[in-house]
Amino acid sequence: MSRRSSFVSSPPDLISRVLAALGGTFSSVTEHAGQLGQLVWRMGVAVVRLRVPRRIIFREIRILGMQSVPIVLVAAGLIGIVTSQQGGYQMQSNLPLYIMGSVVVESVVLEMGPVLTAIVIIGRVGARITAELGTMKVSEQIDALYSVGRDPVEILAAPRVIAMLISMPLLVGMANIVGILTGMVSAQYTLGLGSETFFYGARLFWHSYDLFYSLLKALVFGGVIPVIAIHMGLRTTGGAEGVGRTTTQSVVFMTLTILIVDALFPPLFLQ
Amino acid sequence: MSVAGNGSRPVIEYLSVYKAFDAPVLSGVNLSVQAGEMFALFGPSGTGKSVLLKTTLGLITPDRGDVRVAGESVYFGGHRSIERIRDKVGYVFQYAALFDSFTVFENIEIGIPEDRLSRMSRAEVRRNAWESLELVNLEPAQVLGKLPAELSGGMKKRVGIARAIAGRPEILLWDEPTTGLDPVNTAAIERLITQLSEELHVTSLLVTHDVQGGLEMCDRVAMLEGGVLRFCGSPEEFRESDDAVVRAFADREAAIAALDVLDVR
Repeated sequence: MSRRSSFVSSPPDLISRVLAALGGTFSSVTEHAGQLGQLVWRMGVAVVRLRVPRRIIFREIRILGMQSVPIVLVAAGLIGIVTSQQGGYQMQSNLPLYIMGSVVVESVVLEMGPVLTAIVIIGRVGARITAELGTMKVSEQIDALYSVGRDPVEILAAPRVIAMLISMPLLVGMANIVGILTGMVSAQYTLGLGSETFFYGARLFWHSYDLFYSLLKALVFGGVIPVIAIHMGLRTTGGAEGVGRTTTQSVVFMTLTILIVDALFPPLFLQ
Repeated sequence: MSVAGNGSRPVIEYLSVYKAFDAPVLSGVNLSVQAGEMFALFGPSGTGKSVLLKTTLGLITPDRGDVRVAGESVYFGGHRSIERIRDKVGYVFQYAALFDSFTVFENIEIGIPEDRLSRMSRAEVRRNAWESLELVNLEPAQVLGKLPAELSGGMKKRVGIARAIAGRPEILLWDEPTTGLDPVNTAAIERLITQLSEELHVTSLLVTHDVQGGLEMCDRVAMLEGGVLRFCGSPEEFRESDDAVVRAFADREAAIAALDVLDVR
């Protein structure tokens, strides 16, 4: 039997593979971060130079914002009902029932309203933006814009981000109101808690700052979702299969980012 | 092969253009297209014809080399240079690449260079769109308000051409404009290409698989194969070439014979 040559390559060992995976991940993260930073910068420049068509902003507000109202309100209504029911179950015979008012209002305003609205918007708006821009990329529509001397960031990206920055706080505001109202009605029917008692409890722990906190979250989410969706859409390659793959990646990317940003809010703004 | 035309002055010059993706696509292409010329570029699928066309407007950046349009460098002239070049060039995409969410009018409007558009009244923009549609033999009143999804394939191609000519360019780049069309529509689009090139006095560079159409329409033709120019000359020279690969594009029997030469399975 001949001895194997020392030049014959062997499969990489575990440490090499782990290091390669870490290197690949780091490279991918920095590439995304760099491209996202560049996208945000170019959008900022477009806004400052007043090069974002207002007509397209209004159209995007209608498509991305106004058309999202029904699904956001349905989700918010269900959130209010669930919060109220589960809160009532946990507090049975332990705490005074008027506390339910505070539990529902604070849960909806501080957390459920902004975060679940963001999750709904990721599915309805974020996925749509990525799929739309991805299709435009693979069907040469982005090239066509460049060929006529137009910047896709000014025409496609900035209007969508501005539209979402305007729409998201309004959607979250509406979601908060509907969530609180359905929570109150639910508490009335299942726990026998009157609306006056409900709002008495709500006022006990209410701070005006909570509303600012909720709307600030909405504003940040309203920026994060379209920026990631646009970034992923403009990276799409590989035809219809590529559009599907990128849209899935984009939804995962947006969802994780929203949850991470949400986790950063309390230490940054509630201390 | 480095090829310059015999005409007046070159308006498009490809200077040692190299581009590789996973594998080399363009391996040092030198070519120039003269003012007022109709020039066709043939070649097997995937040989880099569309890539070369896209380098003309900076849509794809070459790894090496440069492209000069109307005397200005696409890659070394800076941002302003690219903007000026894009104002002078109209690009007709293979599948029209119309903006789905824009109406036909908005699609054509966006083809007008921005600085010119800002000086035009709405009536002037509308007249421009109307004239552009008439030039491509579409009925403006019927299509201006429609979305691309409401148009047939042939009509989309024509709207794509109308967008490319809306800015009244000096140069038209045609990326396989007859792909996917039936023979009648192919003939109609080819007649339109000749008609527009003459009426608008533009230089046309046409990338096409329709060799017979290209040979009939164009003043000069070239063939790209394996990342380099395999042939450049007049249509007559192309027809009479004794290069097996060139001949394969000129007639069907030679194409079958060339399968072995090109090792195509």
